[in-house]
Amino acid sequence: MSLLLMAPALLLLLAVFFWPMLDYAWLSLQAQTVFTGLKPVPVGLANWERLLGDGRFWQDAAQTLRFAVVSVGLELLLGLAIALLLHQSWRGRGLVRSLSLLPWALPTTVMALGWRWILNDPNGPINGVMQSLGLPSLPFLASTQLAWLGVVLADTWKTTPFVALLLLAGLQMIPTDLYEAFALEGGRPWQGLRRITLPLLRPYVLIALIFRLAQALGVFDLVAVLTGGGPASSTETLALYAYLNAMRFLDFGYSATVMLGMFVLLLASALLLVLAQQRWQGARP
Amino acid sequence: MSSSPLRQRPALLRISMVALLLLWSLAPMLWQLYTSLRTPESLLAGLAGLGGGWTLANYSAVLQADPPFGVYLLNSTVVGALSTLLTLALAIPCAYALSRRSDLLKLVIGGGLLAAAVFPYVLLFLALLQVARQLGLANNLLALCLPYAGLSLPLAVLLLQAAFADLPVELEENALLEGFSLGQRLRWILLPLIGPAVVSTGLLVFLFSWNEFPIALTWLSRSELLTLAPAMARIAGSSVFTVPHGAFAAATVLGGVPLLALLLIFQRQIVAGLTQGAIKG
Repeated sequence: MSLLLMAPALLLLLAVFFWPMLDYAWLSLQAQTVFTGLKPVPVGLANWERLLGDGRFWQDAAQTLRFAVVSVGLELLLGLAIALLLHQSWRGRGLVRSLSLLPWALPTTVMALGWRWILNDPNGPINGVMQSLGLPSLPFLASTQLAWLGVVLADTWKTTPFVALLLLAGLQMIPTDLYEAFALEGGRPWQGLRRITLPLLRPYVLIALIFRLAQALGVFDLVAVLTGGGPASSTETLALYAYLNAMRFLDFGYSATVMLGMFVLLLASALLLVLAQQRWQGARP
Repeated sequence: MSSSPLRQRPALLRISMVALLLLWSLAPMLWQLYTSLRTPESLLAGLAGLGGGWTLANYSAVLQADPPFGVYLLNSTVVGALSTLLTLALAIPCAYALSRRSDLLKLVIGGGLLAAAVFPYVLLFLALLQVARQLGLANNLLALCLPYAGLSLPLAVLLLQAAFADLPVELEENALLEGFSLGQRLRWILLPLIGPAVVSTGLLVFLFSWNEFPIALTWLSRSELLTLAPAMARIAGSSVFTVPHGAFAAATVLGGVPLLALLLIFQRQIVAGLTQGAIKG
């Protein structure tokens, strides 16, 4: 009976999550391009050999990692600051919390188009302010050095509220008498943050970190609309590269290989994260 | 009197922090609203163009385009609502059954659901597209509900399972003694009690389905079928030579307002779903 109730959901889950991986494993051993008339032809490990020597794949992997680490790091720092601010009691707190959550609810493609205009050179508001201060306007989205920072900025703007919300929920779980006892023993408020808040908040930081890192490493919508991966592929991510291989270069076998390669890198970084977490816990019992 | 400067300093600090937070959160959206109401000339004049130059022409251009912008909003709403219903219909029985087990299978399924919930689903788009083509589901708006429900199930089952697990077992045992069938127990006793969790879950699924991009982008090509996310991308890629910033901004305002309104109305439920999902999942 119990199995019967679960069966429909589990079948759909297998079809949506498990079947694609099997399909890619098979497809990565095929050549399926315009040269094969878009029909699959077995080629052994040729796609995988190509992947290992594909500079664009590894460049995109490094760019994806750079984007994920910097933006998730910023989101955690900013999110913690916002959560601490919203955790105190003051008038109007509820309204401010509602308003600060708004960016999170915007569809990514909508806000990406908005940020394209905000970062516009020379007519966007950021460059407008810079010019009125007598500074030169900066080509945020046209420069290979600056464009990835524009992507980080837009992502941080949109997802920091989510991180702040999780950390706020964590702060609300910490019993207040801990702080009172700490103050009675002569502890300063600033020390309380380091000695009580941060250690007890650790599980929530970890949840936010895992969730956001996974999302950031798979970033697609934001880059596709904000920069299209440009200029000169400087903001291209692995997900976008896999998409381009399938939908623009019509190289389905290689696209599947790129996705599996990305999956392997994700698993490796998840493993590293688990190991780091265990060492962190071991160091501070 | 002597203590007042010390008291005022934290308050002043807090006020400036709150002001910064509001500026950071709202300024980008207000800038879009402002841009959407400006004529092209006044936008290119920089800060000197402040003052005159207000117009509603950007909105009428977007609303009267071919297809009109309202079509995308309607498509997203239809797909979002149907995906939410399908997800709940599949997730509620599964979550109930899972919450009543305590064996190895529950551990395996629970672990699988957790892994699936954090999996970057964009990786799945190519295989799902091939399935859609084989089954003739491409360019079928309603068929999007299938992958959307599948992708939403991990979080939905985890959230609902936690809610079922919180209910006391005696409640159901009593109903069983009174001769209630499984369907009756679910319908009349258990579901009303986990109502808040169902609402939170449904809202999160709706938000996801409304916003979903890579699958909608690859499954839909006919412009009158597009949901909001791929329509936005198509608008963004449309004008190569002269970029109609005002019309773009009007599109972002129209595309953003429905969800902002939804968030403000159902804020409590959405926040509860998000935090529960993270803590219990």
